[in-house]
Amino acid sequence: MLFGIEYAISLLFLVAAIMVPLSIGGYLVKIILFFIAMVFDVLAFTSRHYAYLFVPFIKGRGKRVILSNDDAYYLSASADSILKKVGEKFIATVYIMLPVYTSSTEMTDDQKLEFTQKVSRMVGITRDPARFTTEVLIMNKDDYLRELKDAISQADNEVAQLNLNKNPDKKRMEHYKGKSVMLRNLLNDMGKVTSYEEISYVTVSAYGYKEYEAVANAQQKARELISGISSVFGVPVSIITGNELLKFVEPEYLIPYVTVTTQMNSDLESKVI
Amino acid sequence: MMDETTMIYLALTLVVLLLAFGTLGSIAKGIYYDIAILLMVITAGLIIIISQVDYVMFTMLTSLLGTTIKPANNYMINKKQDSVIKNVNNLYYATGYVTANLFPYVFKNENPPEDEEERMSQAPELWENIVKSLGFPFKFHVFSIGLNVQTARDELEGKRSYQEFQLSRALQGNANETVITSIQRQIRVLQSKIDMISSGEKPIATIMYIETTAVGITEQEALDKLSSQVTAIQVAFSSFDVELRRIVGRELYEIFKFNFALPLTVKDASSLFDQQG
Repeated sequence: MLFGIEYAISLLFLVAAIMVPLSIGGYLVKIILFFIAMVFDVLAFTSRHYAYLFVPFIKGRGKRVILSNDDAYYLSASADSILKKVGEKFIATVYIMLPVYTSSTEMTDDQKLEFTQKVSRMVGITRDPARFTTEVLIMNKDDYLRELKDAISQADNEVAQLNLNKNPDKKRMEHYKGKSVMLRNLLNDMGKVTSYEEISYVTVSAYGYKEYEAVANAQQKARELISGISSVFGVPVSIITGNELLKFVEPEYLIPYVTVTTQMNSDLESKVI
Repeated sequence: MMDETTMIYLALTLVVLLLAFGTLGSIAKGIYYDIAILLMVITAGLIIIISQVDYVMFTMLTSLLGTTIKPANNYMINKKQDSVIKNVNNLYYATGYVTANLFPYVFKNENPPEDEEERMSQAPELWENIVKSLGFPFKFHVFSIGLNVQTARDELEGKRSYQEFQLSRALQGNANETVITSIQRQIRVLQSKIDMISSGEKPIATIMYIETTAVGITEQEALDKLSSQVTAIQVAFSSFDVELRRIVGRELYEIFKFNFALPLTVKDASSLFDQQG
C-alpha cells in the first residue's frame, strides 16, 4: 500500500520534471522535481521492510517513535495462553514445559549421541511453526530460603522442647542439633552464591478471529505437539499456565528483584571497603 | 539472501531510474545535467546498499538522529537498535539477541558420517560447559517451520547452482583460500540438505538465536552489562563453530515480537530474516 503511494508519487514527480515547461522556473524547478522523484523512489524501496515505521517516525519527529502504547500481550481468560491482537486477528501462544533433566555427565557416548538425535528429531516433529527454547535463569530462592529458615526454627524448637525434660532422649537431641547445624550451613551457602535454573519449553501460536477461537486452535496445536514430544523423549509434557508463564515472557523474571538488590548491596559494600 | 518480494521492489524502483536516465535530456542541460546524473547515482547506490545491508543504514540513521522506538507499553528499543529495554521498579532490564545457527554444526551432515556422530555426541557436553561458564541468564531458541518438500528441494538446488557458479568464479579469479573454503562449505551444507530430503526426511527451516538479559540501575549500566554478556556468549558458543552476530535493526524488533506471537506461515517467517538469520 505505502509502496504503491510512494512509487506513484515518484513517477508523478518524474513526469512533472519532464513535462514542466522551461518558462516556469527553468531547469532549477525541473531539477527540484527530479530530486523529489528520486527521494520518493528510495522511500518506496525502503517501505519493503520499514512501512510500519513511516507514520510513527514522522509523528515522533524521528526522536521517540511510538509503534504501540498497548501491552505486548495479555493473558487469556483460561490462563493457559497469552494473546495478542494483530489487525483483525487474535494470535494465541501456548507454552509447553519440557521436563528433561538428564545431564551429559551421567551419559555414555552412545546416550549422548542418542540424546542429540532425539533433540534433532523433536525440532522437526511438527510442520507448524514452533519454537524450542532452553532458558537459563537466576533461581528465585526467596521461598526456598524461607522454608530453610522455618526448618531451622522447627529443629531449634525440638531441641528446646527436649531440654525441658529431665531425662531428654539423647539420640533425638543429637538428631535435631545436627539437623539445625546442617540447615544453617546450607542457608549460609545458599545466601552467598547465585543459583541458576535450566528450563526447556516449546512455544506454539495459532490465530483466530475471536479470542476463544485463537486459544482453542493454539491448544489443539499444543496437544498435537505434546503427543509427539512425549513419544520422542518419553516424559510427561504439560502446558504452562497462570503466573508461571511470566517466567518465559517477562525479562524481570530471568533475574529476580531480590537477587538484583542483593548484588547491588554487595557491590556497594565492596566499594565502601 | 533477498526474497522474491524484495527483488520485485528492487526491480520496480530501478525502473524509475531507468526511465529517468532515458528522459534525462528533456529534464536538464549543462550543470543541471551533471547534478541530475549525480542524483541518479546516489539514488541507485542507496537502493542497492539498502537492499543488501538495510539494518546497517537504519542503525546509522537512528544513532544519528537519536531515535528510540517504543514497540509496546513498558518496552523501548535503544537508538543503536541492538537492545530492548524494560523499566521495572526503576530497574532497567536490557535484552539483546545473537544469531546462532547450530544446524551446520550439530544436525547437518556436511562432514563424513563418522565425524558427524562424534560432533553430535560431543554436543550435550559442550552445551553443559557453556551453561556452567556463563554466569548470567540467557535463552537459546530454535524456531522451526515445516517446508513443502518439492519447493524446498528446488530452492536448495537453485542455491547450490549459484554457489557452484560463485566457486568457479572464485577459482578463476584471485580469491583467497578462506573465501574458496567458505563457498565449498556452503555447497557441502546444501548438498547434504538435498540428500536428507531425498532420503525421505521432512524439510524444515530454522532460525536459531540466543537471547540474554542484563539488569542495571541506569539504562546505560544495563546496556553496558548486556554488551559484555553478548561478548561472553560469542566467546562461549564459538566452540560450536557457528556465526554469532548480534541482531540489530528491524530484525531485533521482529524477534522481540516472537516472545508474544510466532509467525504463522513460512512466508511470514522468511520475509522477516533475510539479512542476519
